[in-house]
Amino acid sequence: MVAQPFVRIENVTKRFGRFTALDRISLDIAEGEFLTIVGPSGSGKSTLIRLLVGIDDVTEGTIRLNGTRIDTMPANKRPTCMVFQSLALFPHMSVGRNIEFPQKLKKIAPAARKARALELLRLLRLPEDYYGKMIGQLSGGERQRVALARALAFDPQIIVFDEPLSALDYRLRKTLEKELKDLHARTGKTFVYITHSLEEAMVMSDRIAIMKRGRFEQIDVAEAIYSRPVSRFVASFMGEVNLFEAAEEQGKARWGDAGIRALSGGLALPAGWRGALMVRPELLRFVAEGQGADFTVQGRVVAEYALGSRIQYAIDTLAGTRITVERPFEQRLAAGSDAPVTLGWDRDAVHPIAEEPRHATA
Amino acid sequence: MRSVSNTTRIALYLYGLLILLVLYLPLVSVGFASVSKARYLSFPVNRYTSEWMVQAVTSPNVHALVLTSLKIAVLVTLLSMLLGFFGALAFARFQWKYRPLFQKLILLPIFFPQTVLGLALLIWFSALGVQPSWKTAVIAHLVWIAPITTLIIAIRAYGFDPALEEAARDMGASTLTILREVTLPLLMPGVISAGLFAFLLSWGNFPLSLFTSGLDSTLPKWLYARMVSGYTPQIPALGVLSVAGSAALMLIGIGLVRWMRRRA
Repeated sequence: MVAQPFVRIENVTKRFGRFTALDRISLDIAEGEFLTIVGPSGSGKSTLIRLLVGIDDVTEGTIRLNGTRIDTMPANKRPTCMVFQSLALFPHMSVGRNIEFPQKLKKIAPAARKARALELLRLLRLPEDYYGKMIGQLSGGERQRVALARALAFDPQIIVFDEPLSALDYRLRKTLEKELKDLHARTGKTFVYITHSLEEAMVMSDRIAIMKRGRFEQIDVAEAIYSRPVSRFVASFMGEVNLFEAAEEQGKARWGDAGIRALSGGLALPAGWRGALMVRPELLRFVAEGQGADFTVQGRVVAEYALGSRIQYAIDTLAGTRITVERPFEQRLAAGSDAPVTLGWDRDAVHPIAEEPRHATA
Repeated sequence: MRSVSNTTRIALYLYGLLILLVLYLPLVSVGFASVSKARYLSFPVNRYTSEWMVQAVTSPNVHALVLTSLKIAVLVTLLSMLLGFFGALAFARFQWKYRPLFQKLILLPIFFPQTVLGLALLIWFSALGVQPSWKTAVIAHLVWIAPITTLIIAIRAYGFDPALEEAARDMGASTLTILREVTLPLLMPGVISAGLFAFLLSWGNFPLSLFTSGLDSTLPKWLYARMVSGYTPQIPALGVLSVAGSAALMLIGIGLVRWMRRRA
């Protein structure tokens, strides 16, 4: 017998009236995995996790945990716990009572409850005297940690996060992303996290699922999402990438009208292929015309942006195509704006994205 | 903030004083009338006496009136807090098919002239064969006051993050536990202010009581009757005591809400 997946979401559809928020979604989650669902607003990611914890009911399909159906189980009977976007900390209770709330519901004795709450405060690096503070007295980051402590006090099999870091400032967010990843490693719990930031997802997750209009576009490890996106949608989600319109011609790629020269035999493509060829900005380099790379193109520098350790250039080809190049800061060009340059890249830097839409299942 | 010139400041103070004068002069004159020796309303007062105040406090007749008014007001307060609490949840918290209709219908009794409402209720009670008494007055007061408490609590319910209830459920709380541990404590300041309003509105209500309390007389009803036939300074004396009692209650209520807010 094949090993039972920990969580199996199978053919789940959710409709609100005539609007289909989720369209026959399937997803397996392994025990102890950190899975992040990424998508723009309205892609259905929030809907999916609300179905998972039971706040909303599925229209069609099943959700199983260790082989047992949980989609028919009311939210207060499911071994899942959600950390809400608003955190949903009770403003009329102290930090201690907030953390103890799920244990109190489980009828755990007050002394044991308090001991566990203090232990969780320590785990989340909050001072023990925060036990008696009210929620209104805490900063954003501290509230975040209290919400996490409360979720851990519930001791769920799956902890689900609904963009809990989105309201925080950039630096605090970066710190908490790493803390969350550490916490995941230390507790060994299954985390399902949703965000609209692929960057955030890449820091933390074992696997990333990209959602678009109620369907999964791609489910894979971060590295694969980054370098081998299945669609333009996934590719553009990662920020600035170069996409060249292309088509197959006599078994090779014809690179649109950007004036790209293939020096060493070009790129092989299957017959009838149409789509976009992706080259990441950091895989482009400055070369001498007609040598040193599999592909070259001539252009001129339009703008230069310092990004700290790296530097980014906007370059227009002679045919007028805008290309983004990113290099380590040490490789900064001596010549200034409007300088003529030649860009080069290699065959294995090119990732072809075929035109026909595909949908991922895993 | 921009600083205000002295002239503007003086003008503002004078304006504020004028408003206070207009609002409180009648009350002050009633105060004077209640300690006047003369049996008729006159101003200025020539000779003072505490006779009417003492009479107002010691008269068994007044005790009976206060008791009836209190009985009605306390019952109306408790019932309208209860109705208002659940009404507010239906008004502001839950999405249901007839909510827009409910939100409009609940406002109607507030806009209805009270005398007409009182008469309509009296006709309705007699059609049902119910003898008007202080009990029917409670129902009449509720028709007018419960919508008001509903609105007051609904304002608080609108400012309530639905995720709080969802989170409680997610962590295993039953509907009853959520109500007791989350919803009720968070709406409590609203419920208390609503109760305060309910008490004061019922305590001072005349038009509804006039039609629906039958032979049982409330304080405002009796004051009116005495005003029409047989004025004595006991009337302003009772009025002053009633206002003082209401003000004290208001202060207690405001203190209570403040205290709860500080805790939250």
